[in-house]
Amino acid sequence: MAFPNVRLASRPLHFIYLCDCSGSMEAQGKIQSLNQAIRQSLPDMAAVARENPEARLLVRALRFADRAAWHIQHPTPVEELHWLDLQAGGVTAMGEALELLAAELRSPPMEQRALPPVLVLISDGQPTDCFDAGLATLMAEPWARRAVRLAIAMGHDADEEVLQRFIGPGPSLPPGEVPGASGEMPRHGPGASPRRPLRANNATTLARYIQWASTAVVGAASSSASRISGAATDQGNVPLPELPPTELDPLDDPDPLKW
Amino acid sequence: MRWLLSPGSTHRFADLPEPVTILRGLGGGSQGQVFAVRLGGEELALKWYLPGFLARDRGLEGRLQESIRRGSPGAAFLWPLALLRPEAPLAGVGRSAGTGGADGRGQGLSTAGWGYLMPLRPPSYRGAVDHAAGRLTISLANVLRCAFQLASGFHDLHSLGLCYKDVSLGNVFLDPERGRILIGDNDNVAVSGDGSGAVIGTWGFMAPEVALGQARPSASSDLFALAALLFQLLTRHDPFKGALELAIPCLDLPHRRRLYAEDPVFIFDPRDGRNRPDPIEHGAALLTWPIYPRTLQQLFERTFGPGLRDPVQRTLTGEWRQVLAACLDQRRLCPACGEENFVEPRASGLCWACAAPLPPPPRLLAPAGVVSVAAGNELHRHHLDPLAAEAIDQPLARVEAHPNRPALLGLRNLSTHPWTLTLAGGETITVAPGETAGLARSRELRSAAGQIRIEP
Repeated sequence: MAFPNVRLASRPLHFIYLCDCSGSMEAQGKIQSLNQAIRQSLPDMAAVARENPEARLLVRALRFADRAAWHIQHPTPVEELHWLDLQAGGVTAMGEALELLAAELRSPPMEQRALPPVLVLISDGQPTDCFDAGLATLMAEPWARRAVRLAIAMGHDADEEVLQRFIGPGPSLPPGEVPGASGEMPRHGPGASPRRPLRANNATTLARYIQWASTAVVGAASSSASRISGAATDQGNVPLPELPPTELDPLDDPDPLKW
Repeated sequence: MRWLLSPGSTHRFADLPEPVTILRGLGGGSQGQVFAVRLGGEELALKWYLPGFLARDRGLEGRLQESIRRGSPGAAFLWPLALLRPEAPLAGVGRSAGTGGADGRGQGLSTAGWGYLMPLRPPSYRGAVDHAAGRLTISLANVLRCAFQLASGFHDLHSLGLCYKDVSLGNVFLDPERGRILIGDNDNVAVSGDGSGAVIGTWGFMAPEVALGQARPSASSDLFALAALLFQLLTRHDPFKGALELAIPCLDLPHRRRLYAEDPVFIFDPRDGRNRPDPIEHGAALLTWPIYPRTLQQLFERTFGPGLRDPVQRTLTGEWRQVLAACLDQRRLCPACGEENFVEPRASGLCWACAAPLPPPPRLLAPAGVVSVAAGNELHRHHLDPLAAEAIDQPLARVEAHPNRPALLGLRNLSTHPWTLTLAGGETITVAPGETAGLARSRELRSAAGQIRIEP
């Protein structure tokens, strides 16, 4: 005598990290910070998954250095995920990583129906292979075009222009508008937006952005979050949530203790 | 999660005579974080807002103050009790909580963030999300009781001229053992139609006119959201996910807008069959919908049919209460498999679970209602008093099985007065409060609240 054993229909939500593991990531503990940030974000990511029964959250990770390779190849339910440490060393085969990603976003192996995938590219440098060809292959896939594409630039040496091209065109301000002209101080660098590369100049900011991507963005991609009226982000494929409040604007921090 | 207020820390707040101790973090989202706290000897919940959200929702403080002044509409609401503003800079608050801007370093933290106190949700209450996801065991009767309580809660809220605005699975909690509910996140509540507030709803629950930006949330958009939530509770399925949803490869914002706002078609719309459930993908809807009587199905057909475009046609909270209460009254158990069925009391029918025939049950005939005899069914004041509104939280009597002979059903006196029971042979016995009278030989029951005939 119980409610029938049925559940809300769900769609897969693919969440894929693309992690730069080039040699420079070894400097100042960057790769350790990244491993730590992702590992620490998993419990809250699992909590968000539980709160969104309409989404089956599946996580994968790609690493790229001299070559690109899957770090977690099988789409893994977040509650079953154990993050094995990434190791740094080599150059930055970002283009090849995008090619590998493109192959997985093709249908098949992509399901016929899904929620918009979330792709998070994290890099501290410049691609050393053919980024353009990789990006073109990726963007030829409809699932890649519909995906939420985010990028985190670690440190000042990251090629933000390349990361912006991965994301797509950045947000444009209405003509004549100056960032911060509303009288409110922007809490991020001038024009910071989820549709621009997020600059993480220290481990705390990195952790904050990883946390945001793995929880708030996942909630938005599965559309479980409450809609805020008039939100500037309520447009495009997925209404992107506001960026998390950062401690101090990393741009103001000229001499960071760590990287 | 990185908590804005450290567990274990103690804070003084303006206008609060005693300090508040943060016990543990309970959860967080895009608006803020919720903590279990201790104030005096009492455990309460504290919601602490993110500065970014406070900047978005300028009317929040006024709304909350008004809600606190007015008081809770009913026991189902985790209603705001007091606004909390820091008296002095908070030692346990992370720097981020205070930085209203990049210049926030030198700012007094006391001015940046604030929150409010509300009752703490008891652990027996689980998120309605857990029910939808099939993660909790609950009887059909208790799902219907929860649905009734939900309609009743919104009835109380709307009666005060207020609206809730953000009805969704995420804001409701169920006690699966008792069929009770709690409604959280009451900080969007405002006078219906005042147009203030930042939150306009959640996809899948937003009325089309609100999702399309043609109207602000109101009591009538609440009625749409309430119907969507009731449908999800009763079927574990979304009322608009049928063939049209299956045809969408990537369910992104433009497609959601189409599915829920521009061209919504109810999966069981009697006149428009474009969006029927798929036997494999949408099995939950196809299995559960036929369990419910036509009277209840029609309320959904109306809200999700003509009510899509014409808010006046949406089922009212009072109608939900009436029909859901009647569903509970006609509950009976399949003699073959024991499953709960909700067919008309005089109709024979087939069990939805095992297809065994259902014999007509004995009935309790009260002046203002008829209740089928099945273990767990209850008599309420509204069955005896035609003027009383339906309410199910204080039963006067409950049908119960004999502890050692489960086939033997009796009626337990849950009222505070003795009953006089007339048996088939004409003799009478007294049934004191707490006692249970066997129903097999009983014919009539007289209570302080009225008279009930027992039809074998």
